[in-house]
Amino acid sequence: MSKVGIVSYGSYIPRYRIAIEEIAKIWNEDADELISQLQVVSKTVPGLDEDVATMAVESARNAVNRWGGNSNDIGAIYVGSESRPYAVKPTATIVAAALDAEKTLTAADLEFACKAATAGMQMCIGLVKSDMIDYGLAIGSDSSQARPRDPLEYTAGAGSAAFLIGEKNIIAELEGTYSVTTDTPDFWRREGAVYPTHGQRFTGQPAYFQHTIDASKGLMEKLGSEPSDYHHVTFHQPNTKFPLSVARMLGFSNEQVEKSLICKEIGNTYSAASILGLAHILNHSKPGERIFMTSYGSGAGSDAFSFMVTDEIEKIQSYPYSTNYYLNRKEMIDYGTYARYKGVIR
Amino acid sequence: MEPPKIWREKRERYLAVGIKCLDCENKSFPKSEFCTKCSSNNVKEYKLADTGKLLYFTQITQTAQEMIEYAPYIVGIVELDDTLKVTGQIVDCNLDEVKEGMSVRMVFRILARDGNEGLIRYGFKFAPS
Amino acid sequence: MKQNVYITGFSSTKFGEHYDKAASSLATKALLGSINDAEIKKESVQAAFFGSLVSGSNSQTSIGSTCIRECALQIPITRIEAGNASGAAAFQQAYSGILSGLYDCVAVVGVEKLSDYVIGGTIEKILGATIDYHWEFEMGATLASLYAILTKAHMKEFKTTLEQLAAVPVKNHKNGVKNPLAQFRREISLDRFLKAKRIADPIGRFDPATYCDGASSIILSSSKIIAENPDIKTKIPIVGLGHASDTLSLHHRDTLTSLQATKKAANQAFKMANINAKDINVAEVHDSYPIGEILAIEDIGFFPKGEGGKATEDGLTSPGSEISINPSGGLKARGDPFGATGIAQIVEIVKQMKGEAGERQTADFNYGLTQNVSGTGAMTYVTILAREEVGK
Repeated sequence: MSKVGIVSYGSYIPRYRIAIEEIAKIWNEDADELISQLQVVSKTVPGLDEDVATMAVESARNAVNRWGGNSNDIGAIYVGSESRPYAVKPTATIVAAALDAEKTLTAADLEFACKAATAGMQMCIGLVKSDMIDYGLAIGSDSSQARPRDPLEYTAGAGSAAFLIGEKNIIAELEGTYSVTTDTPDFWRREGAVYPTHGQRFTGQPAYFQHTIDASKGLMEKLGSEPSDYHHVTFHQPNTKFPLSVARMLGFSNEQVEKSLICKEIGNTYSAASILGLAHILNHSKPGERIFMTSYGSGAGSDAFSFMVTDEIEKIQSYPYSTNYYLNRKEMIDYGTYARYKGVIR
Repeated sequence: MEPPKIWREKRERYLAVGIKCLDCENKSFPKSEFCTKCSSNNVKEYKLADTGKLLYFTQITQTAQEMIEYAPYIVGIVELDDTLKVTGQIVDCNLDEVKEGMSVRMVFRILARDGNEGLIRYGFKFAPS
Repeated sequence: MKQNVYITGFSSTKFGEHYDKAASSLATKALLGSINDAEIKKESVQAAFFGSLVSGSNSQTSIGSTCIRECALQIPITRIEAGNASGAAAFQQAYSGILSGLYDCVAVVGVEKLSDYVIGGTIEKILGATIDYHWEFEMGATLASLYAILTKAHMKEFKTTLEQLAAVPVKNHKNGVKNPLAQFRREISLDRFLKAKRIADPIGRFDPATYCDGASSIILSSSKIIAENPDIKTKIPIVGLGHASDTLSLHHRDTLTSLQATKKAANQAFKMANINAKDINVAEVHDSYPIGEILAIEDIGFFPKGEGGKATEDGLTSPGSEISINPSGGLKARGDPFGATGIAQIVEIVKQMKGEAGERQTADFNYGLTQNVSGTGAMTYVTILAREEVGK
């Protein structure tokens, strides 16, 4: 049977950051307590001229440029997001035009809270494996909104990651994928509402943890693998505490999950969170390493993946605009500037 | 913002596509059906270099209504690596970091939004490279 | 007999904020004023050309229609748009109308009504249409920002200083004090210009000419009318005309330290008049930004390239010097109702020719020049007037 996997990857993280301390100061909260609880010290803020489409284009261009192939060979583009600029009108078409990938392709925007991008990856995998397309591009991009003073405000960040799926020049071969989906109302935003609402502690155990664990265990059982077989693992990272906890529950060590944890600096990037972790891992992986990933999306569901890094990886790791590039490029802003950039004040 | 205009200009705004004359080799931006030098219609699309250097710049604090929400912002003339010159905004840097002659690369950004209900104009701007 | 075109009447409203007047009222006042000044019956005017930038895009299109109704005239009317140079463009069309033999007497009216529009909003969009709207304005540039780039280029190439640049509006405000029709009749100190907030560095808040309301009108007559009316009190021959264009966008130009359209238009006008820059002693040039005047006096040829700033600072363009630049106060102190400006510039030269410029009168001269620019120099119009005795 033909192989399928990741051909290339790209990241994008906006330049602006706000410190948790700066937000806590506004609401008279104890910053030290919040930081130790969330293990997040700052989060990303998109510039005034950035949105989900611009970030998706940047990460997608990084994926395509890193690959070096012809964008016209991309047969599918899926953008997973919960904060798209248009409620009706796809972001994926903007990405297709900006990649010069028009017009023989299929495209759609996907919404499944923070796991829409991994759903997109699975769709691309299916299309590639069934020979419907040669390459598919799955993107996660979010510029999440949080009601001022809501606990979400400390972590709701912005970022994007893109994965090119195909059969040729695979840098990480797919070993298997496994999903769980249930109807679990832990986090939602109604049509027309500006800010999402969440079920507070309910978002933890029955939502994030149960789904992540079920999908992860399901995949390992299916593949006959176990945590110690993997060099790296990435989970959805709404904060740093959750992925560390779920890793421990599943039997992964801190070292295995460590490389993926970029949330501390950039906050929760929603649809991009687990896959930005994957992109960061890939940029530091060696051929022969195995990578495990499980996303989580409220509502709720998890997609688990197992990858084997190939020799091809070394050919594309030197591309300059990596996750590291964006992590190092930052400017701290104050709450007033943050409120302006987020459109709270105009 | 008019849908046909947004649609018509997308290759120029998103991809910086201009033309190259197959008769006289002249390159030109924006697109045109005729060579801007020899008037031949034997032209094909040409994608501008996406890196270049900043020739001149200024920071704008007073601007039109549709752009005021972004002010202050920096605008400049960029000479691309293929010698074509374009006007564009310089983003992802503060004024004190911007220097004449600095290397820049194209990035994809919002140029303007037509209120809360209209279309969004996307296009290229420049960031330090 | 050599065919000439003569200015035989002129009138201007005061420039400024006429909140109580519509554009057509301003135009009517100027048009009837020029007819009265020419001492002709209004029925003698065979056609009227209106220069206006804004009408049609943000308000009434056929600005002339409402005006001639108010004047109780029924004559052919044409509205000319050439950006900020619409006034001078209309003037050249009117001139052609006579020289072609189509008319013997026409009116040309420049008019603009800008106090209805918000600065820091609509005005910038209107001016955005005078630069490359799609590839400069929509990319984020404003007219001011492009003049800022022209200023920087000149400063870099010729070491022109901010003090030299500010000397332009300082002088023009000093001149404006003596012009009863100017919007600003007060001096502004060098320090005030230098310390003002930057709207597009190095352009400060007080550097641009102020967008305002106003109308100016001129009556043009053929040689035949001059021959038939020996007692006509105003007869100023138009001896030189030039009109040239350049690329709309700055980024398409090879040089940013001179305006090629000004050079070409001035050369055409000098050639037609058979004179050179040294023969001019008074000129009204397009000082919408300080660098505009410096580029103008260099590109027309009054001063060598790169020395315009120093010349201004040294007072070589002030009243009483060999070449008096913008004795009216220029766009800066007179105010800039776009379409009216080109006509107001010519009106000032006519007043100087007739010795009617009061305290700002230039002594003993034969030739005067105007230069009207659109955008950042995409179109320039140059007009040279002569004393009747030398211009025949």
